[in-house]
Amino acid sequence: MSVKVYLVDDHRLFLSGVRAELAEEFRIVGSAYDVDSAITEIRGLQPDVVLVDVHMPDGGGIAVIEGVLETTPDVKFLALSVSDQAEDVIAMIRAGARGYVTKTIEPPDLANAVRRVDAGDAVFSPRLAGFVLDAFAGAIPSDDDPELDQLTSREKDVLRLIARGYAYKQVARKLEISIKTVETHVSSVLRKLQLSNRHELARWASKRRIV
Amino acid sequence: MPGIRSLEFKRRETNRVLAGVCGGLADWLGLPDAYVRAAFLTLLTVWGLGGFLYLALWLVAFDKVEDRQPRPIEPSQTLGLAAAFSGFLMMLGAIGWWPNPVLVLTIAALAFGTAALVGTSRPAPLAGLFDPGVEKPSRIRLLVGVVLLMGGLSMLNLRLGDIFEFSTVFIAIAVTGVGIAVAFGPWVRRLLGDLNAERNERIRQEERAEVAAHLHDSVLQTLALIQRSDDPGRMSMLARHQESELRDWLYGTVPLDGIDLVSTALKGAAAKIEETHQVPVDVVTVGDYPVDDSSRALVGAATEAMVNAAKHSGADRMSLYFEADEDELSVFVTDQGSGFDVDSVRDDRRGIADSIQGRVEKAGGTVEIDSEPGEGTEVVLRMPVVVV
Repeated sequence: MSVKVYLVDDHRLFLSGVRAELAEEFRIVGSAYDVDSAITEIRGLQPDVVLVDVHMPDGGGIAVIEGVLETTPDVKFLALSVSDQAEDVIAMIRAGARGYVTKTIEPPDLANAVRRVDAGDAVFSPRLAGFVLDAFAGAIPSDDDPELDQLTSREKDVLRLIARGYAYKQVARKLEISIKTVETHVSSVLRKLQLSNRHELARWASKRRIV
Repeated sequence: MPGIRSLEFKRRETNRVLAGVCGGLADWLGLPDAYVRAAFLTLLTVWGLGGFLYLALWLVAFDKVEDRQPRPIEPSQTLGLAAAFSGFLMMLGAIGWWPNPVLVLTIAALAFGTAALVGTSRPAPLAGLFDPGVEKPSRIRLLVGVVLLMGGLSMLNLRLGDIFEFSTVFIAIAVTGVGIAVAFGPWVRRLLGDLNAERNERIRQEERAEVAAHLHDSVLQTLALIQRSDDPGRMSMLARHQESELRDWLYGTVPLDGIDLVSTALKGAAAKIEETHQVPVDVVTVGDYPVDDSSRALVGAATEAMVNAAKHSGADRMSLYFEADEDELSVFVTDQGSGFDVDSVRDDRRGIADSIQGRVEKAGGTVEIDSEPGEGTEVVLRMPVVVV
């Protein structure tokens, strides 16, 4: 049974392109151009993976993720955008997306990312890795949960290599660990990103907005 | 919407004298502003009733709206309102509430006289005075206005001297001055408002022209180039380059205070490489640092490393990663291309080694080249810095 994929993007041209690229390997169960119909359809169709654009009218990808996860927490999201605005991307991850890739991604890499998200892993593109390192840089842990507010040095190593363009396999070889361990590190970073209450995250985002 | 009566009573945002209460009331009643203002002015002489009423209405109508087109009003309705207002005034007089009948009547005559002169025309800018197309006060209204004004002035002349200690002449002049100000005030205000609106419009148009010029020089040019190109690689390169440039322009990643940042310099260098060598560069930066002598050397060496990768690696893309730590800047130029045996090739590439290694080491940094045939190449540049 192939992976059920749903697409949400208000750019129809882009949507049809992605559909053609992914149709060979995955079962595209549907697509939507706007937030409201996306939420209703995804709830009904229960796809495995949803590719969702960050920027859309009426709340964007965040609204879709939050709306769906309320009732159907098993759906997994992969954010897809041209925007690359750090705060938008981090906001998508915090809303529940399991990864972020840019729309300039090569088709085989996109398919790979979908497979990885479906398997429950996190997908960190080089850019997202850079954003996360930036967000956690110079972090002073808060009193609530210091564990959540900092990245371990191993996690930082992994992120740095991803930011340098290394694939997970190459990261594993470079650090002399298994791919599974790389995936564990990345998933743990994702969890920290989603759960950390750290004020710095918000402050960092607002600082980015000004600069 | 012209001719449609606004249902809610709201204060006016534009074309107002004080807080826009009279204007809003005029819109709501469908009366000319001048008459409503005259009524308030008259009531002001009755123990300041007009002032209290004004404040009360101000509180009621907290919301403001743009100057609305008043609905056309029937002449009978105007008459009715006028009669009601006169009746109200007379009633106040009858129960002995007028502090000074002469004052009340005088102000009423002056205010309504001026209102009649100013008329119902929504005052045009001053230029409109000489424009034959603009509505002018009718003869009857002109006559009524002049008679009322004359009456008011002569009453002042006769009686006010007794009431106040000022000389009648002085007061007459002052009142006439106020009358003129009231009469022409709206014109002047409107003129100023028009000038303001005109300036805003001009600024908006300049901005639009600037945007259009930018889009023309960048996006439209690129689109034209893409249409004329039949090489898919070149097309996507053009699109990529344009995308990053447009994003910089839109989101303003260019520093505002004129300080050049290493991240910006590296992105610029990467964009140039993409353009000249047709190899996409994925740039990721963490943290930032201003461009000074040592970081400039770093940027220069990184650019050389990118040129190398583009020319010799055969890889179809490369990565540039920059991180500013507390005490060190590091740059990684990584490609997944052919790679080379570092030790054996070094001599052949003396020039390159010099331009990268020499530059960085002179500035106090270090260079590492990590490569094996078939395994791609990574050039690591590190530069110690002092963060201020």
